[in-house]
Amino acid sequence: MAGKSGRTISATPNRSFLKTVLSWEGALVVIFIAVLVAGRIMSPSFTLDGVMFMMPQHLCQLFIVFPMAFVLIMGEIDISVGSIACLSATTACLAANAGLPLPLVIIICLATGVACGALNGFVLTKWPELPPMIVTLGTQIIFRGIAEVVIGAGSSLKYDSDNLSPFATYLGPVPIVFIVVIVVAALFMVLLSRTTFGRRLYAIGSNRIAAKYAGIGVNRMRFIVYALAGLMAALCALFLLTQIPAVKSDEFGKGFEMNVIAMCVFGGIATTGGKGNLFGAFIAGMTIVCLRIALGLVNVNDNVITIIIGVLLIVSVLISGISQILARRKLKNKT
Amino acid sequence: MKGFLKKITGNHEVSLAIILIVLFIVVDILSGFTFHGINNIGEIFKNNSLTLIMSLGMLCVLLTGGIDISITGVLAFSGMSVGMLMKYNVIKNVPLLFAIAIGIGALCGLLNGFIIAKGKVSPIICTLGAMYIWRGLATVVFNGEWASGENVAAMSEFGNTAGPYIILAAAFVIYFVVMKWTPFGRKVYAIGSNREAARISGINVDRVEIAVYTLMGVLAGLAGALSVSLYGSAQPTMQDGKEMDVIAACVIGGVSMSGGRGTVVGTLLGGIFYAVVYKALPLVGLESIWQNLIKGVIILAVVIINVVSQRLSRRQALARREI
Repeated sequence: MAGKSGRTISATPNRSFLKTVLSWEGALVVIFIAVLVAGRIMSPSFTLDGVMFMMPQHLCQLFIVFPMAFVLIMGEIDISVGSIACLSATTACLAANAGLPLPLVIIICLATGVACGALNGFVLTKWPELPPMIVTLGTQIIFRGIAEVVIGAGSSLKYDSDNLSPFATYLGPVPIVFIVVIVVAALFMVLLSRTTFGRRLYAIGSNRIAAKYAGIGVNRMRFIVYALAGLMAALCALFLLTQIPAVKSDEFGKGFEMNVIAMCVFGGIATTGGKGNLFGAFIAGMTIVCLRIALGLVNVNDNVITIIIGVLLIVSVLISGISQILARRKLKNKT
Repeated sequence: MKGFLKKITGNHEVSLAIILIVLFIVVDILSGFTFHGINNIGEIFKNNSLTLIMSLGMLCVLLTGGIDISITGVLAFSGMSVGMLMKYNVIKNVPLLFAIAIGIGALCGLLNGFIIAKGKVSPIICTLGAMYIWRGLATVVFNGEWASGENVAAMSEFGNTAGPYIILAAAFVIYFVVMKWTPFGRKVYAIGSNREAARISGINVDRVEIAVYTLMGVLAGLAGALSVSLYGSAQPTMQDGKEMDVIAACVIGGVSMSGGRGTVVGTLLGGIFYAVVYKALPLVGLESIWQNLIKGVIILAVVIINVVSQRLSRRQALARREI
């Protein structure tokens, strides 16, 4: 015990094995395994090969989960990522159709994403009083609007080249996308839990003013995180193009922001900031991906899956809310 | 003169109203004085009636510092219920159908409010989940069916009368009175300004919060039935993504996302603002394809201008104090 507040100084909790299993991440792993087992029982084609085969089309959204987790940990929100994916896919298509070589196409696509994210970051750091939800709502409409003007309403822009096909291949049974997702996940996890950058994110999310007085460049951090979100949205768009080689302004990446936020929150990241980790978000994302694959295999309507995700989301947050209330009541009774 | 200017720049509603009037006159001149006709204005209100009605509920939700993004899901579910009841000739009575839609909406809203107030779940997450659930149910419960024009003929007839206008006007008058002159309205503002202070001064915060979300549900359900009667059809995907329009209308109208600030009049102006700009676009030579892009720019511009003017007035206030 240290200080009057009765809190220990060390921020890193010293967890026992039992506590880890009982924590939210432990519960998620159990749920994840339960989904896998249930999928195996329900459908005979839910094998390792089958799952790996179905995975790429569902997996792309996972790229955005990691930067979105950063944004949420700062206590903010970014609902423009789906539109950023749409716009960067549009520029990628334009570049490829103009006959540019693949590296240049990739650079243009990613640069578009970073530019969009940087615009979010610029507006939010120039006028920090603005609520992120409204700014990214505005840019969400703008980015998709630009794509609409370029492509034309209702029509679709084809990706007229097969130079993206190496990204759609498999390394043994494992799709390339999955490997890239794992690598990106590892990078982001290290960044969040092993670097000062990550610690600062938690600091900003827990108490922004204190973080500022502690010498953290809050606005610089926010700018970087929003640009990062743009970059990963563009990466998601690139891999999505390997699956669907055409962009429609009102369909490509639509609703991604909400799916991704749902995955983060299901993974135990609080939207109020300062809480959660990427392992939880990653497992939650994988759980939802596998759930979609399993239910898709047994021909369950896509909307049923949507309902299940909605219920999971509310129940998971409700459990933590109720447990907090109970813990507070217990504490009150003690005193 | 100086006092007059200060009044204009200091009050969001007044400046928005002036911008609207100027815009209106410019559009009217550009269109060769065809814009100010009663039919045209009626059209504007009718085309935006869903956004306008739901923005009233959203105003209250935002005033308490919350947010509700499940409204179009609730709208779709209640609208589909109405459409299906008519399609299979269960009920053909229009007022009764409206009542059913409102009842469904109220239940959905009550559920949201209960989870948010009693379960201490953050509003955006609870309503995000609810959005998935109701939107999904709108397809699953009715097997993905649609109700087309001839199925809902009675509702469409109602949509062509003065009914929608009366509902719209009544909703605004009721909300104006309630928010300004009743204890309930004052409580909503109190909670948004300072939740702890409101609790300590004896306001039952949980109960007011539940009421606010329930009212939001009521309006979303009403909008569901109204949508069926205005568009003459019911689909599970109806008004998908329009919840953001509702939030944007409120924000343009000067409602603060952090709670406690915003008025019914501002919300109304914010809702109409879009509509007039839309009508103005073709007149200045921009095709309708630019609409979405410009909508986004307007949202950003309005919130940024708002912040800049607030900073300016704060600086002026400081300067005056120094003298």
